[in-house]
Amino acid sequence: MFGNFSRRSLLGGIGAAAMAAGLAACGGETSTGSSSSASGSAAGGAGVELTYMFRGGEDERKAYDQAIAAFEKQTGAKVKVIVTDADQYRTKLQAAITGNQVPDVFYLEQGSVMAFAKNGIVKNITPDIEAAGLDIDRVWKYGVDSYRFDGDQVGQGDIYGLPKDVGPFSFGYNKTMLEAAGIPLPDKDKPYTWAEFREVAKQLTKDEQWGTGLNVVWNLQAWVWSNGADWADEERRTVTVDTPEFAEALQDFADIQLVDKSTPSVEQAQTMDTYQRWMRGQIGFFPVGPWDVSTYRELDFEWDLIPWPVGKTGETATWLGSLGISVSNKTKHPELATQLAMFLSADEETQRSLYKAGVQIPNLVDMAEGEYLDDELAPANKEEFVQIARDYGRALPAAETWSPEWYDDFWIDIQQVLDGKVTAADWLAQMQPRMQQKLDQANMAAGR
Amino acid sequence: MSATTAPAAPAARAATASPPSPPPKRKSKLYRREHLVAAAFIALPLVGFLTFAIGPFLYSIYASFTNWNMLSSPTWIGLANYRQAFGDPYFRTSLFNTFFYMIGIPIGLALSLTLALAMNRRMPGQSFFRAIYYVPVVSSLAAVSILWQWAYNGDFGLVNQALELIGVDGPNWLMNVSTVKPALIIMAIWKGLGYSMLLYLAALQSVPRSLYEAAELDGASSMKRFWHITLPMVQPVTFFLVVTNIIAGSQIFTEINIMTPTGGPEFSSASVVWYIWRQAFSNLQMGYASAMAVLLGILVFLITAFQFWLNARNAHEGVD
Repeated sequence: MFGNFSRRSLLGGIGAAAMAAGLAACGGETSTGSSSSASGSAAGGAGVELTYMFRGGEDERKAYDQAIAAFEKQTGAKVKVIVTDADQYRTKLQAAITGNQVPDVFYLEQGSVMAFAKNGIVKNITPDIEAAGLDIDRVWKYGVDSYRFDGDQVGQGDIYGLPKDVGPFSFGYNKTMLEAAGIPLPDKDKPYTWAEFREVAKQLTKDEQWGTGLNVVWNLQAWVWSNGADWADEERRTVTVDTPEFAEALQDFADIQLVDKSTPSVEQAQTMDTYQRWMRGQIGFFPVGPWDVSTYRELDFEWDLIPWPVGKTGETATWLGSLGISVSNKTKHPELATQLAMFLSADEETQRSLYKAGVQIPNLVDMAEGEYLDDELAPANKEEFVQIARDYGRALPAAETWSPEWYDDFWIDIQQVLDGKVTAADWLAQMQPRMQQKLDQANMAAGR
Repeated sequence: MSATTAPAAPAARAATASPPSPPPKRKSKLYRREHLVAAAFIALPLVGFLTFAIGPFLYSIYASFTNWNMLSSPTWIGLANYRQAFGDPYFRTSLFNTFFYMIGIPIGLALSLTLALAMNRRMPGQSFFRAIYYVPVVSSLAAVSILWQWAYNGDFGLVNQALELIGVDGPNWLMNVSTVKPALIIMAIWKGLGYSMLLYLAALQSVPRSLYEAAELDGASSMKRFWHITLPMVQPVTFFLVVTNIIAGSQIFTEINIMTPTGGPEFSSASVVWYIWRQAFSNLQMGYASAMAVLLGILVFLITAFQFWLNARNAHEGVD
């Protein structure tokens, strides 16, 4: 049970599940006094070697090394870890699949769920989770739903993975800069309207200082969604970028630079340096993800989180990423492998060390809403991260389609709009059929 | 391939040379054993070649007629992938970009020949310079790409800082549609210079002195000597370099992927192989990627065949 949640009880539960997979008996109160059964039953893994493939930075490695060591100790299994850098992961995993050497447990991108589930690469772990008596409600609903697939649509149906994390993409501001400029600090509960935001950004802009500097690929979503538009319909069958709401959002986004000039110039912004400039304290508003927090804690100015500026709908919006941990359908030790996935996703101590390292927010809802919020470390308004994860974060458009090509296509020529060579509306009208063709292809490949 | 089989050649020669002058009716034990050894020598690289080159090559031809996505087994779809390739604007653009990069080949060859001529003179520090120019060749392409990526940074890059010294306001090289390809070409030339230079140097040193002496006696100017002696004498090396550079150039990938990971602004730096890789691994279209790879292979083969034909014709004319 996730009930009184400790590493030992989790392993007790899942260890027992390994012994008697499918028996609901162990789903009961395995919470505390089950240490003897934990060590006893967990020995089911003795002599077994599992391979676990993932990608990640040093902090994550450390946290997971710890978790894996504990898992090995309690189950007696050995975990062979394969780490790759982010760029190579996908290629390497695909090669492993083609070569029939799929790791027992591995990271799965949200966008791969449909293809991997449909082709039987990843295992449906719903029964194992139920057998282990795990209270899946303790993990972010969005995180679990991201790996559900019902044969047609992602987001519902059986579970094919557990979240390694959820990544709320929040909005931050440089408190020190705003105070110095004598601008009233933004309200953490009442988002700016676009007009208000642009006004503040303009006021902040002067020599070697800019109001903002947002990379279109990761920040446009907040504008588009909050204006009631989207890249495609809910079923992901029709591309909907040619609506007036979409055009309005894109144009407003572009005008922050084109009209207001409150961002670094095209040359300055394109060199990826708005990130550097933000860290040097030259930029007023900048996105913040949980993975940035460890770096941003070292900054020599004060910063905090606020909701994204709002368009027509008056509702703030942003995306919520996730990466999953899945189990190979071909694993020889399905129960043990599922346990490992569950352990990596939901073990308390691992989650604690990850949020303390400033790498992610806890996967466990009660931990995120409890000790995480109470934690002294920056940012002060951690609540915003939690709200995104719980209430208003949305999946990136390509997360639920067969392949990301239709969505990737959107970004290739977008610079023309940002440079003011073409208006948003004209450009979008021309993009719609191109993207629609690719989305149709993807849906056809998915057999839907 | 030719390089890997080279060690086998002497053994084979020794084996055939070993029997004494009157050929025995029955092959001797030694003869057979040496033949076996020779075969073993040849077999090793041959097996590698079959497994890692011919095997995948044949399979990719097959895959190009299927909808293989690398997750499930391929289904035959006939020529659909090829039809898609001909109608795909990104394929055309990436093909164009790839051949655009080849502008760097003649420039690189001219530069390396000039360098080789300079290095061929007796001058102090000669071997130092030879080594310096060869360093990029032995450096890791990934590391070199990252280095140049920094050098091309619009704000702080070394290239623009250098340009600033002469009063030129440099562009944001890798982010600008009109400069990203030249930027990559410059880097490719720099990287390949040492290799071509070395080959040219070897060729220059094997040109018989007597030719130059005879020409000098006939009163030929240095320009004429270069044009009528040096250039024709190093022509085999030029031919070799052009052929191998075009083959390698059509496969340009690493520097594109590292320096412009999204294919550059408006797809202006994406090469064919980069696009093939992306379709195969990001977009689950290994079948389609294979079709494009086959088309690229055919194209490169045709170009190479044409070069050989051209070379043979020129050589013939030379004799006349």
